[in-house]
Amino acid sequence: MQVDSARAAAPSSRAALEDRLRDIQAIADAALSRLDDQKLLTELLERTRSILHADTAAVLLLDYRSGYLTAVAAAGLEEEVRQGVRIPVGRGFAGRIAAEHRPVLLDRVDHSTVLNPILLAKGIRALMGVPLIARGRVIGVLHVGSLTQRRFASEDVELLEMAASRAATALASILAQEDRVAAEALQRSLLPAALPASVSADMAVRYVPGAGKVGGDWYDVFGVPSGRLWVVIGDVTGSGLAAAAVMGRMRSALRAYALEHDDPAEVLARLDRKMQHFEPGALATVLCAVFDPGLERVRMCSAGHLPPVIAVPGRAAEVAEIPAGLLIGASRDARRETATLQITPGSLLCFYTDGLIERRGQLIDDGLARLCGLVTAEPPEAACAVVMAALVGAEPAPDDIALLMLQCYPSESRP
Amino acid sequence: MIAGDDELRWEGGQAVVRMPVEIDVTNADEIRRTLRAAARHGSSVLIIDMSATTFCDSAGLQAIIDAYNQLDARNQGAATPTQLRLVAIAVRRVIQLVGLDQLIPVYPSVEAALAERG
Repeated sequence: MQVDSARAAAPSSRAALEDRLRDIQAIADAALSRLDDQKLLTELLERTRSILHADTAAVLLLDYRSGYLTAVAAAGLEEEVRQGVRIPVGRGFAGRIAAEHRPVLLDRVDHSTVLNPILLAKGIRALMGVPLIARGRVIGVLHVGSLTQRRFASEDVELLEMAASRAATALASILAQEDRVAAEALQRSLLPAALPASVSADMAVRYVPGAGKVGGDWYDVFGVPSGRLWVVIGDVTGSGLAAAAVMGRMRSALRAYALEHDDPAEVLARLDRKMQHFEPGALATVLCAVFDPGLERVRMCSAGHLPPVIAVPGRAAEVAEIPAGLLIGASRDARRETATLQITPGSLLCFYTDGLIERRGQLIDDGLARLCGLVTAEPPEAACAVVMAALVGAEPAPDDIALLMLQCYPSESRP
Repeated sequence: MIAGDDELRWEGGQAVVRMPVEIDVTNADEIRRTLRAAARHGSSVLIIDMSATTFCDSAGLQAIIDAYNQLDARNQGAATPTQLRLVAIAVRRVIQLVGLDQLIPVYPSVEAALAERG
């Protein structure tokens, strides 16, 4: 690090102090907050470049999964953003800043100190960069460059760090927003719209993101060539885009296995193997219900998922008695068992995720009992409305909720 | 909240780790670290004591599964394998519903877990 060797004299004259104050105001300017985050970032880069008399300024974003930095905003160095240059953490100038979590100054720019071909081609002679830190984590790098030979001073580092702190806030907010929008779009695109037309049943569904944040809950309904109907409900641990993306992959894999196998235990065993190999560390609960073409019978297998509640006409609803299998992603030693249930015509089956019934300070059996008390064998849309009104009401749900209800009319007994 | 040494105690050669009242995404990482550290001691039995726990979400379950898998890998070919045991009262049903009791035996009290000869 060359900060110390670059230390310059503190501003002594009144004019120098006034300059310094003006520079600080340019960055601290409250008016910047009125801009949206992306514009704020661009304007901040322009001002930073100007007050530091630099020729280029750029913000790079760190992707933790890949360990690479990519340029997301630039002034005087727009090609870096356009070309999508990627810098590995720990290597090159920006990579070093991200790895060491501290400012780096360069007054010699060549292949030994810089990895980015654009900086080299541009003819940059001096560089100064600082990490962008949000909630104690490095989320990127801010750097400025000079086309003429110079040494950045310690006051320059301080100004750049002030700009970095504002840039980090804006960048973190952009990321959170993008994550939320993408996760919501993904969720919406994956939730099925309707039952296959041939099925003699009615269905109603609800999906509510938890505390305004989309998570890994999902449901799926599809027919297979044998005429059987699959109903799947699941919950991937975690929230946001990461959980929604894992959920999307699980849903696709499960559909593929269901085309090949009719036994839900076999499908879940394969899904578990796939997850443990390709997504180690991911954890999910999944319940599969496979209905015979005439809906007289359903075979179910649960991988750690809450059992469905079944309401037979004229009787109190009950929790389906199915074996509790181990959740997906936990261990290779999981045993999978399929349970078969006969369906009384007009019965309503209620599939849900834990967000519907789990409450802090409440036993899960109490939540299950409460749900059973609410579900009756009535048209699913009405049944969903009753359950959501009683268990969710007007409060924002702390956790995601997915709910799917199916009323079956076997042997052409549909009203 | 779980912190420091007070949550790990020894009963003979058996280690007992006490879990907090609520386990969720805010303290699951800390619990994961505590359990990983406890698993490295190589005791004959490691008891995860959730008798005071009234809430455990999937992040908490993940920390326990992580400890199980770490011990499982460590036990392969080990001269002195470590047995993992769970004590749960309020969250016992949650543990059953996710099938975790198929991997790790669950007891109603620390005494019962200690008394079991495996």
